[in-house]
Amino acid sequence: MELELRINGIIKSLDVAPNESLLKVLRQEGYFSVKHGCETGECGACTVLIDGVPRPSCVTLAAQAGGCTLTTVESLGTMRKLHPLQEAFISTGAIQCGFCTPGMVLSAYELLKRNPDPSEDEVRDALSGNLCRCTGYVKPVQAIMRAAAMQRGETVPPISSPGSSENFKPWDPGRSPLEHAEYGASTPDDPTVGAASNAQIIAPNTPESTDDSSSQGGTATLVGTRTSTDLSIVGKPERKVDAVKLVTGKPAFVDDIELRGMLHARLLTSPHAHAIIRDIDASEARALSGVHAVLTYKDVPRIPYTTAGQSWPEPGPHDQYCLDNRVRFVGDRVAAVAAETPEIAEQALSLIRVDYEVLPALLDPRYAMDPNAPRIHPEPESYRIHDASRNIAAHLHAEVGDVERGFAESDLVVEGEYIVPQVQQTPIENHIVITYWDEDDRLVVRTSTQVPYHVRRIIAPIIGLSPRRIRVVKPRIGGGFGVKQEVLLEDICALLTIATDRPVKLEFSRAEEFRSSRSRHPQILRMKTGVKRDGTIVANQMTLLANTGAYGTHSLTVQSNTGSKTLPLYPCAHIRFVADIVYTNLPPAGAFRGYGVPQGFFALESHIDEIAKQLGMDALALRRQNWLKEGDENPLAKALGEGKEGYTQIIESCGLPQCLQIVEEKLNWQEKRGKGGSGRFRRGVGIALAMHGTAIPGLDMGGASIKLNDDGSFNVLVGATDIGTGSDTVIAQIAAEVLGVRMEDIIIHSSDTDFTPFDTGAYASSTTYISGGATKKAAEQVRMQILDVAGRVLKVNPESLTLSNRIITAHNGQTMTVSQVALHSLHIENQQQIMSTASWMSYNSPPPFAAQGAEVEVDTETGVVRVLKAISAVDAGRVVNPLMAEGQIEGGATQALGYGICEEMVYDQQGALLTTNLSDYRIYSAVDMPQMESYLVETHDPFGPFGVKAIAEIPIDGMAPAVANAVADAIGVRVYQIPLTPERVMLAIHTQSQNAKR
Amino acid sequence: MIPGSFDYVVASSISDAVSLLQQHGDEAKILAGGQSLIPLLRFRLASPSVLIDINRIDGMEYIQETDNVLHIGAMTREAELDNSDLIRERYPILLDTSSLIADPVVRNWATVGGNLAHADPGNNHPATMLALGASVVAVGPDGERVIPIDEFFTDNSFETTLHPNEILTEIRVPAPTDRSGGAYIQLERKVGDYAIAGVAAYVRLNDAGQVTYAGIGLTNVGPTPIKARNAEQFLLGKALDDASIHQVADMAAAASQPTSDTRGPAEYKRAMVRTLAVRALQKALGRATGGE
Ligand SMILES: Cc1cc2nc3c(=O)[nH]c(=O)nc-3n(C[C@H](O)[C@H](O)[C@H](O)COP(=O)(O)OP(=O)(O)OC[C@H]3O[C@@H](n4cnc5c(N)ncnc54)[C@H](O)[C@@H]3O)c2cc1C
Ligand code: FES
Ligand code: FES
Repeated sequence: MELELRINGIIKSLDVAPNESLLKVLRQEGYFSVKHGCETGECGACTVLIDGVPRPSCVTLAAQAGGCTLTTVESLGTMRKLHPLQEAFISTGAIQCGFCTPGMVLSAYELLKRNPDPSEDEVRDALSGNLCRCTGYVKPVQAIMRAAAMQRGETVPPISSPGSSENFKPWDPGRSPLEHAEYGASTPDDPTVGAASNAQIIAPNTPESTDDSSSQGGTATLVGTRTSTDLSIVGKPERKVDAVKLVTGKPAFVDDIELRGMLHARLLTSPHAHAIIRDIDASEARALSGVHAVLTYKDVPRIPYTTAGQSWPEPGPHDQYCLDNRVRFVGDRVAAVAAETPEIAEQALSLIRVDYEVLPALLDPRYAMDPNAPRIHPEPESYRIHDASRNIAAHLHAEVGDVERGFAESDLVVEGEYIVPQVQQTPIENHIVITYWDEDDRLVVRTSTQVPYHVRRIIAPIIGLSPRRIRVVKPRIGGGFGVKQEVLLEDICALLTIATDRPVKLEFSRAEEFRSSRSRHPQILRMKTGVKRDGTIVANQMTLLANTGAYGTHSLTVQSNTGSKTLPLYPCAHIRFVADIVYTNLPPAGAFRGYGVPQGFFALESHIDEIAKQLGMDALALRRQNWLKEGDENPLAKALGEGKEGYTQIIESCGLPQCLQIVEEKLNWQEKRGKGGSGRFRRGVGIALAMHGTAIPGLDMGGASIKLNDDGSFNVLVGATDIGTGSDTVIAQIAAEVLGVRMEDIIIHSSDTDFTPFDTGAYASSTTYISGGATKKAAEQVRMQILDVAGRVLKVNPESLTLSNRIITAHNGQTMTVSQVALHSLHIENQQQIMSTASWMSYNSPPPFAAQGAEVEVDTETGVVRVLKAISAVDAGRVVNPLMAEGQIEGGATQALGYGICEEMVYDQQGALLTTNLSDYRIYSAVDMPQMESYLVETHDPFGPFGVKAIAEIPIDGMAPAVANAVADAIGVRVYQIPLTPERVMLAIHTQSQNAKR
Repeated sequence: MIPGSFDYVVASSISDAVSLLQQHGDEAKILAGGQSLIPLLRFRLASPSVLIDINRIDGMEYIQETDNVLHIGAMTREAELDNSDLIRERYPILLDTSSLIADPVVRNWATVGGNLAHADPGNNHPATMLALGASVVAVGPDGERVIPIDEFFTDNSFETTLHPNEILTEIRVPAPTDRSGGAYIQLERKVGDYAIAGVAAYVRLNDAGQVTYAGIGLTNVGPTPIKARNAEQFLLGKALDDASIHQVADMAAAASQPTSDTRGPAEYKRAMVRTLAVRALQKALGRATGGE
């Protein structure tokens, strides 16, 4: 049908089908700022304004918008002239992956039109339809309040320095040195120097350029010993290098390209939890007009592999097959179709005849090892399975000292069983991949991944191409949180391109993302701890049963971290850690931010509170008495490495005492602890500690290449994979710092296996430390080359030169700009490209530390828990960018609140997932948020670049036990299982009052 | 999934909509805010061959009180209830109800008529309208008929007594009396989620403080919206005090038929109906007697 739409002021006549959504039509027309994360009206990523009113375009028919005025983010501001809202989103650090940003900006835009002076609650309400998985909404809310103030003409305090690159005057190399022999002192108005200082601010009311640090306007405060004063860029809240393109809705994500003749792929997945495919007949599907390929297990090689994107050789079970004749969970892949349109592909799926022999399913991990339990991996080809005959994917046992003796020597032995749920990473961008042949007959894989290099290596044998014929490109990623450290779609999509010689796109729908991707391992953990009367921990034991679902992907290493990153927090002579990770016929678990550690800390930090209670001790005093200190050796590091023996780790920096002190004070612990009372609403406070690792020692490696250009700019190519975390910015900061230039002199590009060096990828909180280390090393080499050339030209010893603010200065006052060095080196004499490539790894994994606290209110008539306050204090070593570090804390703590309060994957009796949309599976929205405070405690660790440690995962580790401890404080009884759903809390209250009666 | 194919027609008036319905019979579906219907189409849980868009019909969005009756046009958006002074001052139970629905983006489009016509036991308005003793106006080929709300929902989920060729045009709510008040309360897993359980209560009192009318509706605790008739009957002629409120709350809980699902186990939901009924009645009483 004919339709007239007024999109961003342009009238378009379109021919659309009545069943086409407005979302689809807008994207088809090239409005790529309109994203999609669910297509059921729940995530808000597709929000557009229809006649000025925000509406989810996925549940709006294009036909309904006929004659209406539509507004997308493309019309708000441009890269050169941002709207105040866009400007504020950038300067407050409100953008992480940026996938939710266009929708949020539009909701905010409409709010401010209607209400120029909104309260914070009104802002939260206006954002409540826009889900964000990265930020915890703290900074977006702040951004909107700030933009509102700017639009009202108020002056706002500066936060981060506005990028000045767009304001650069065109480059002028100056007169040729041949006719102008002297290299004189460059004047301040040399075009290659100091342009930023006379930068004119384009967006109305933008703050002046400032080097001020983060405390103003933000919620986080930097405390501790700031050693960063000697640095000019590291330690500053620099703007995210990719923020402008994200906030203006530029086509930056996997799906934002158009390829001629692209086919649409769909997966057929298993309706049964466990079955053998006796036969599969795809002839009818293949015969359907518009279908170009159908793949079943008969069409692909049977090669055991793992989807875990880890270093070679991946230590976990190799128990998966691209397509198999056995299905092991509801949602397991059965067949794939590529067709002209998604509609045809879907129709083709319904024409595939599958003859299933349904087998008994194993749904409860507690029966997995039972001799009569169904065997999930009987196939002989699979390898690295610990004991397939008993469904044990992996097994871990680590022991120091003699725990039994320790228990015998203790005055008190406390035991407890803790249960943690299966939860999903839920990035707002689902998995998506596009594959195509390039002009050299090489296969390009454009994919939403955290591990481009592992993708290339892992899919190569499955698709029958050697890595040299595969190029993996990682564009911007709409969040990963671990789920994109799995190679889930790339193989199938590539095989479809190989089969059809056409570009193919394959993506998960939200329901498939829930059903068929990966999740956090659910565990049942038993703690047993022996203590002396005075609180000294003598022996500590953690045994756990983890459910990895149908495949073993990260099972070994995740669970290894459950023990290795938690138990060392309280070193003692006798420690035992035992884990059984079993198969079931449920969707597989895998990598999820925290990687086993949140599970461990839920048990450990709940348990410590219980021990304190039994000893009649203050819970914080017990922690302080036993915790790990600077100079201590990590007692488990050697015994529990990454799937093998580890490396000795000495703790060189530990900000735990300050972290705990801050949280104790900010939470008002002394006054509030133990004051639950007996009313209907009871309040409580709880604290938990956490430690983590920084990269995998002796395994993670990153590379960086840096080259100097004519105008004194540098291309920095890194394999490090920015998935929204801001690692590109941090790496650019490190490069700029070492090279003595500004942020706008760094052109960073991350992840393309053809021209960025190898990097293990975005996981294990490694990027700043590992890839930052590589960048620092490469930059130091480039800096040396620059000084060498300058020394030659200026006829002085290069070692006597200094380089800062783009200028090389000699003792005698002579100067040269970096650009002049580049021109000289490239064109004038002894020509060479100033460049270097370096890589970095480390046998040390210095742990970051954190204290996290929560205040809650429990409605004892309904069991509803409301978190009022969530406070985190984190020691992440030297902080490269406080704004982004805060963002990591806020986002991580928010995910942890979901873990503690409301997120859980639930199945029916047949093993089919029930929580397949964002209304049954609940992630926090802006209106669910408590008051959130973050503090960065700076320490200086000797190992990493500039003393950095990790920040990305630690904030997700301690918040759930903090909340559980607060609930126990409020109601006087512990709930041993998260999430703390109303019915679980109610049951605990009820049981307690029954017991009291007895 | 992608919706199956269908035709899309715009109705220009109510009578146009009715004749389109007549023309296409069972195959047609009215498209109001689309917030429930389009997800259904996407999951192929509904596959009409024609969608009749009634968003362009003038004069179906209004909130007005005349002759002791509140008239709400079927196409009135939830956001309009949220922002109406009349609703805030005289019908706070309706504000309770609308403001708890989803998020503002959804409320900008979701309609009150659609919320009732969809007959989702998880929707908020059915319980409230049952408590208020509202009625709905249906227009068909034979003209207009008024359906009391307790005859509107059937014993089947997602089913009403609207004929396939009828369109719902208006909701009518009796105006408040001197001593009347109502409240809608629900328990949610998180803000904006469908209710774990919800209770709407509405009472009218005489000068002696005795109940002359009681309405109690329940959300999301059964296959259909539930009217707690026994509980309502029980209250008639009684004073609303602690004892009667707790007794009637037990009866409301007994009227619920919850099942266990992702919003909690059945027993918990039943217990919560009791708790919420107490709170809703207390709040209704407060409003009836001049408090908040
Ligand atoms: C994310 C999300 C969360 C939600 N949460 C809640 C919640 O917590 N509580 C709640 O109550 N609701 C909730 N809803 C549902 C929302 O209120 C729906 O919009 C409402 O149920 C249907 O209204 P609609 O105008 O969108 O109707 P539509 O989706 O257009 O129509 C729904 C059905 O009613 C029929 N219909 C609509 N209008 C008429 C009419 N005038 N005459 C005859 N038939 C008609 C249609 O044919 C269709 O069968 C939620 C929706 C979404 C998307
Ligand atoms: S709300 Fe439209 S894609 Fe999620
Ligand atoms: S920044 Fe909001 S989803 Fe990533």
